Amino acid sequence: MVRDATGKSEEEWNAPAATLGVLVRDLIARYGVNLQKWVMEKGEMNGLSIILVNGRDARHTGLLETPLKPDDTVVIFPPLAGG
Amino acid sequence: MNGWIGKYLRVNLTTRKITTEVLDPRLARDYIGARGLGTRFMFNEVDPKVDPLSVANKLIFAPGPFSGTYAPSAGRYDVVTKGPLNGTIAASNSGGSFGPELKYAGYDMVILEGKAAKPVYLWIHNDKVEIRDAGHLWGKIVPDATDALHAETDEEAKVACIGPAGERQVLFACIMNEMHRAAGRSGVGAVMGSKNLKALAVVGTGAVTVADKDAFKAAVMKARKMIQDHPVGGTGLRVYGTDVLANILNQIGAMPTKNYQDGYFPTTNNIGGESLTAKILERPKGCFSCIISCGRTSRVTNPKFAGRGEGPEYESAWAFGPDCGVDNLDAVTKANYYCNEYGMDTITMGSTIACAMELYEKGLIGLKETGGIPLDFGNAEAVVEMVRLTGIGEGFGKKLALGSYRLAESYGHPELSMTVKKQEMPAYDPRGVQGIGLNYATGNRGGCHVRGYTISAEVLGVPVKLDKDTTDGKAQLDITFQNLTAALDSSGACLFTTFGIGGDELTSMLSSLTGVTYTADEFMKCGDRIYNLERLWNLKAGLSSKDDTLPERLLKEPIKSGPSKGSISKLPQMLPEYYQLRGWDKNGVPTDKKLKELNLTEQG
Repeated sequence: MVRDATGKSEEEWNAPAATLGVLVRDLIARYGVNLQKWVMEKGEMNGLSIILVNGRDARHTGLLETPLKPDDTVVIFPPLAGG
Repeated sequence: MNGWIGKYLRVNLTTRKITTEVLDPRLARDYIGARGLGTRFMFNEVDPKVDPLSVANKLIFAPGPFSGTYAPSAGRYDVVTKGPLNGTIAASNSGGSFGPELKYAGYDMVILEGKAAKPVYLWIHNDKVEIRDAGHLWGKIVPDATDALHAETDEEAKVACIGPAGERQVLFACIMNEMHRAAGRSGVGAVMGSKNLKALAVVGTGAVTVADKDAFKAAVMKARKMIQDHPVGGTGLRVYGTDVLANILNQIGAMPTKNYQDGYFPTTNNIGGESLTAKILERPKGCFSCIISCGRTSRVTNPKFAGRGEGPEYESAWAFGPDCGVDNLDAVTKANYYCNEYGMDTITMGSTIACAMELYEKGLIGLKETGGIPLDFGNAEAVVEMVRLTGIGEGFGKKLALGSYRLAESYGHPELSMTVKKQEMPAYDPRGVQGIGLNYATGNRGGCHVRGYTISAEVLGVPVKLDKDTTDGKAQLDITFQNLTAALDSSGACLFTTFGIGGDELTSMLSSLTGVTYTADEFMKCGDRIYNLERLWNLKAGLSSKDDTLPERLLKEPIKSGPSKGSISKLPQMLPEYYQLRGWDKNGVPTDKKLKELNLTEQG
């Protein structure tokens, strides 16, 4: 789903970024609505995807205001479940 | 009655007497069906202290009121017995179409007692029920036995059977239905084998009646739409299956690795759902009336591990994968196929091999014990061969057949068995997710995730997102999930429907189906009643609060690497509050006040 939208499973991001929101908006600008529908609605995280920053769920670290540092790992998962 | 049929079969395999009995509507109302009803009958009729593999144990197949209707994902049934792996009350849940077929044949339960003198199978064709000779089937793997039964009963028969593992009473043998669905945990297949019972084959031409057809239809259509509109139930599970969890569990640092020695496995992606979809998936598959279709039909073409079947699910991919240090998807899938063919629980099988690998790593066992097979973590070929040997009962497989606790204990190191109440824990490291650890520790059948799947809230954010690393509120979270699941398991609907609907939708369907009014609170109270009944059984069987714990490794050894590096389980901070909120005393015993609140008596 998310991989289908971007055509890749991972990439490096070298642009300067202060927050997760800057990164996510940049990804949406490049990959368009097929990615956006999984991550954002009306400028906010829509709760469909799980976004981890260094293994911590962004819903507990400040949502799109989560600060990013060089060498941080951000992972975006589509809606999942299992057992 | 509506929803329920109102009668059940009692089959005594010793005397070959077969009777049909009337279901007490009060028991149906209070225990719903499947897990709850089966547990109530076990509590009423079987001494919890019996030897599970003795003639005194009983084996109950029970669908629920939803089973066989067009409610979403309404194909579930339970096998209820005293589990031989650990002596707890075992209710093992399965999907497919077997449960609905039992309802169509005219039964809410089949209770099997005694022991046949020679191998037999039970052929149920509506009200015509026969005990037939199964000598020619004994020894056959599940697919071959199923095909043979189709040929001699009915091509459309739904078959639940054991493989050679159940015949030999491997302590974690399972019961397979429609070849690829499993009543997997706790060794229910071994109980079936102990009774010389190879299979049940069922054809039913009846129907499930509905109390208020218009209201039921409206409730079902609403629920189906909610599930389909939910991104998980409507899309996610069908596209990737449950194995899609592998990468996220690893990325949060809660992937049990190499027998729980760590919580992060760098090459997890190789065995995850995305890789499965890309490399071996043929198509998704669903159970009776299912709109989610999380099942996988798969094929491995690599000649070394070639095969075709269903799976692997996340638990199976983990157990033969990261828990054994293996990242070879073909090997993991082959091990899963073997478990389905021989009839064995994949979680216990994989976790037992992982335990053996740690014994080998530490020099506590060697090539002499393993029959010359190096049991190093990461040896994919060894994992597959160990499953095969356990299935056929040869070599080191004979020791693995005991499960990890007895295996490790036999070499003087029970602490290397990653079990709770002697049942192996599944694929979520409690050091990385606090609430699931409390669920494992308080689980009525031992290490188990599905009975109280707090991962839903702590990791996935369904229905709300809670912080996985905190302990606040986790006791109540566990109780809520455990009670809801107990009621849901008893209804015949699939747990995965709760990724789209909740108590209101479930009770709306259940009330209009049965004509019995259930509110969401009453449904939860049924679940609370069932959970407490299971607890009472276990206490009478000899378990106690000292069994409500986790392996010492998880309480004292921090995760070594990955995003949850440094974490341990904080179970001691959560357990006292859990007991208190449950209405149990400090020793984990339900108080008289609690039992009265639930109207829970010795005889129901």
